[in-house]
Amino acid sequence: MGEEAKEEFEPKIVGFTCNWCTYAAADLAGTSRKKYPPNSRIIRLMCSARLDPMFVLKALLNGADGVFFSGCHPGECHYIKGNFYARRRIAAIRTILKQFGLDDRFKSYWISASEGEKFANTMKSLTEEVRELGPNPMRGKII
Amino acid sequence: MKGAELKHGDLEGLLKGLLEKGVVDCLILPHRTGKSVSYMLVKDADKIESSASALFAPSFSVNAANLVKGWTIKEKVGIVAKSCEIRAAVELIKLKQLDNESVLLITTDCSGAYTNQVYTEHYAEIGDLVDSAKIKELEGKGITIRESCSICENRLADVGDIIIARGAGDDLVVAGLTEKGEGALTALELSLEDKDLERAAEKEKIAAEAKAKLASLPELNSLDALEEFLQDCIVCKNCRDMCPVCYCKECFFDQPLGDPIGGDLLNLAELRGAIGLPTGQLFYHLTRVYHVSTTCVGCGACEDACPKDIPLTRFYPVITQKVQEIFKYEPGKDVDEPLPFTAYEEEELEECLR
Repeated sequence: MGEEAKEEFEPKIVGFTCNWCTYAAADLAGTSRKKYPPNSRIIRLMCSARLDPMFVLKALLNGADGVFFSGCHPGECHYIKGNFYARRRIAAIRTILKQFGLDDRFKSYWISASEGEKFANTMKSLTEEVRELGPNPMRGKII
Repeated sequence: MKGAELKHGDLEGLLKGLLEKGVVDCLILPHRTGKSVSYMLVKDADKIESSASALFAPSFSVNAANLVKGWTIKEKVGIVAKSCEIRAAVELIKLKQLDNESVLLITTDCSGAYTNQVYTEHYAEIGDLVDSAKIKELEGKGITIRESCSICENRLADVGDIIIARGAGDDLVVAGLTEKGEGALTALELSLEDKDLERAAEKEKIAAEAKAKLASLPELNSLDALEEFLQDCIVCKNCRDMCPVCYCKECFFDQPLGDPIGGDLLNLAELRGAIGLPTGQLFYHLTRVYHVSTTCVGCGACEDACPKDIPLTRFYPVITQKVQEIFKYEPGKDVDEPLPFTAYEEEELEECLR
């Protein structure tokens, strides 16, 4: 893809965030007027462990250019161990995605409720990374 | 482990004994009808005959564990089957689809199996029993074992409660692996002595051959390759139904979201411009491979079940093995080992997050 086309391309990113940390961090980023790209559509989960890897597959297969997941730092889960379970599931789905070269489009982070700035910075770097990758080839496919 | 030496001819008595002495209430074991071998559920010991020719027959029809999936009954069921089938049964116990107290798992040695159609068709050449030399000889004639068997590293019996190991000629060793298994053999009044059935050298040889075979298979390493691989899939979900470890009572892919019709399909078509029909092959198989990622025993029942002859062995066991590696988990090995998705370590897997 040429440089010009890359600049025109606005990636669509689907994010799954935990209500108790990253979702609040996004709020904090907003109330503290941190600027970050508007490419992500955030879906709130009540816990990291609510992330069914099927969500990630469905988003990627339906043409999302990037998918991210973000939850509480390990050891800080509101429900004590939800993110430990989530971490295992993410490791499994990442292994599967990697086999088919899809893992670059799936990112996972730990961002706590107080890390509004980290959230804004993460969204910036994520959007740039996905922009580099270009549009998801699944978009135009008839599947 | 403790065991006893027997001959092929003693098997019939051994199995009859399990029923007659009340060690089990019923038995599920391979049963021969002429050239074909399938399973039977026996209550009456007199119905058991010529066991060796059926027990070690290199034929795979269904995974025996799939036959008892969801049997949460009080009566004790003895299951005599190959290693992959017993491994699947162990996974079902962990998934609470089978009660450990009401099963007696008896594993027989396997040298690799033919699909039951191939076995019946070529019975004259294959016969009742095979060993690795015979399998190689038949391969030269174009009669090959199932692909999942050719990449299987666990052919020798080493799981379950009791193992029946084959020696040279018609020698056998029957040994108990668990307290339950030893108790059953004691009840049969066998004189048990210490046996070493590790067979490390033999296992290494099988594993090396299996790994070499796996490396020679085409690898599915891109989405395009997977799309091409699955293009004939009609989403009949027979691979799911025949999979011993796919156990959900209400499968996502039987519900409107996973199996869209009518207006839901139109919405999808509007979203994407056009969709293939039947739709969702990639979504279905990628989701299913995640669902069985830690429990897949690589028995190949999915491939046998596919009406479109998609070589699913190149997908399911191959991908799930990679997931099992990151958790250092071997499905079906130990009833007491927790399933990876039900356990965690506080510090682990950070390399998987980025």
